[in-house]
Amino acid sequence: MSARSLRITLTVLTVAGLGIAGYLTYVHYAEVQPVCTAGDSCIKVQSSVYSELAGVPVALIGLLGYVSILGLLLARENENTRFAMMTLTLVGFAFSGYLTYRELFSIHAICEWCATSAAILTVMAPLSIWRFLRDAPTLPTPRLYST
Amino acid sequence: MATSPRDTTRKQRRDYARARRKALEEAEAAAAMRQTRLRLLGIVVTVVVVGVVVVLLATGGSAKHGIPASKTEQSSVVHEVSNEVGGIPQRANVLGEPTAPVTLQYFGDLECPVCRAFTLSALPSIIGRWVRGGELKIEYRSLETATREPEVFKAQQLAALAAGKQDKMWNFIETFYHEQGEEDSGYATESYIHGIASQVPGLDLMQWTSDRGDAALSSQLLSDGQAASAANLNGTPAFLIGRSGGTTSKLEPSSFTEPGSFNEAIAKLAKS
Repeated sequence: MSARSLRITLTVLTVAGLGIAGYLTYVHYAEVQPVCTAGDSCIKVQSSVYSELAGVPVALIGLLGYVSILGLLLARENENTRFAMMTLTLVGFAFSGYLTYRELFSIHAICEWCATSAAILTVMAPLSIWRFLRDAPTLPTPRLYST
Repeated sequence: MATSPRDTTRKQRRDYARARRKALEEAEAAAAMRQTRLRLLGIVVTVVVVGVVVVLLATGGSAKHGIPASKTEQSSVVHEVSNEVGGIPQRANVLGEPTAPVTLQYFGDLECPVCRAFTLSALPSIIGRWVRGGELKIEYRSLETATREPEVFKAQQLAALAAGKQDKMWNFIETFYHEQGEEDSGYATESYIHGIASQVPGLDLMQWTSDRGDAALSSQLLSDGQAASAANLNGTPAFLIGRSGGTTSKLEPSSFTEPGSFNEAIAKLAKS
């Protein structure tokens, strides 16, 4: 996969995650029922004590995370932006893993929006690690002049 | 100036040596860069893992409640519960005036953390506004969801129903939710259930212990489960609402911690 394709793939995934986090943030503040095919699972997750961290809605934390990742993807690519993007993606992946754990073992309900966001970050995490590690300078092979 | 074949060979050797040196330097730089990147990745992964553990410990701690060790803290819960339901008529599993025009059926599992969130967040406002105002009565009904073992579920829910035989079921339920333990920790032991009952003011514990074996209460528990199945309720908290004595319909609130959807539905039914 070329660097350009990788960047486009990550951007598309980020925009999808941004849409989900934005919708969940809207649902949180507007106090409306989220669209959910799995009964009231989403409401349970949104109403649980785990829907906020230190008083901040986790949906808003996710939204800010995706906005930052998108900003880094759109910025001029260099070593620092690749590192920052990988760091944010890994933090997001770990955080969504923690939330999925809470959904499964504490709330006993799965919010399909959150699960989709977790799936997006699960794909983005290895891609961003690969992007960070693979761009090491390539080694030129010394050539012996023939006489 | 023309160069002899010997000079050319020397120049080629010099160029080759330079190219080789450059390649080696670049290889070393690349290896160093790769090492730096791997080290950075390792640092990030370590920090992230530590962060997750800290968050798990921090939020796990906040979910731990259980019966407070000190009598002062227990008194605080008793006081809070008395403030919420004190002075409101109770009969068996019903809280509110028997003549209230609207009935809300609250299906819950005493170990369900979302039920706890509802009971501690939205319910006080609903009780304060509608039940105290005589327009709503609330029936607590049992539906097993969060409790793993059916025997434990039966024991704890029957304990609540037995308190209802002395018209103190809501004190028992509220106290249980206030002092709910960490899920799946097996906290709902006999000792814990007795601890909850002993905090219900005026509850005759001898009578309560005897009532826990009442077959009629077991039948009620069974009937609650059947009612939930009939209404297609498969999670808790779940709600059925309607005019008292009339048909009920499922209430799906937009939030379990905000009373908005409940207020809307109750107001609509109270007017009809």
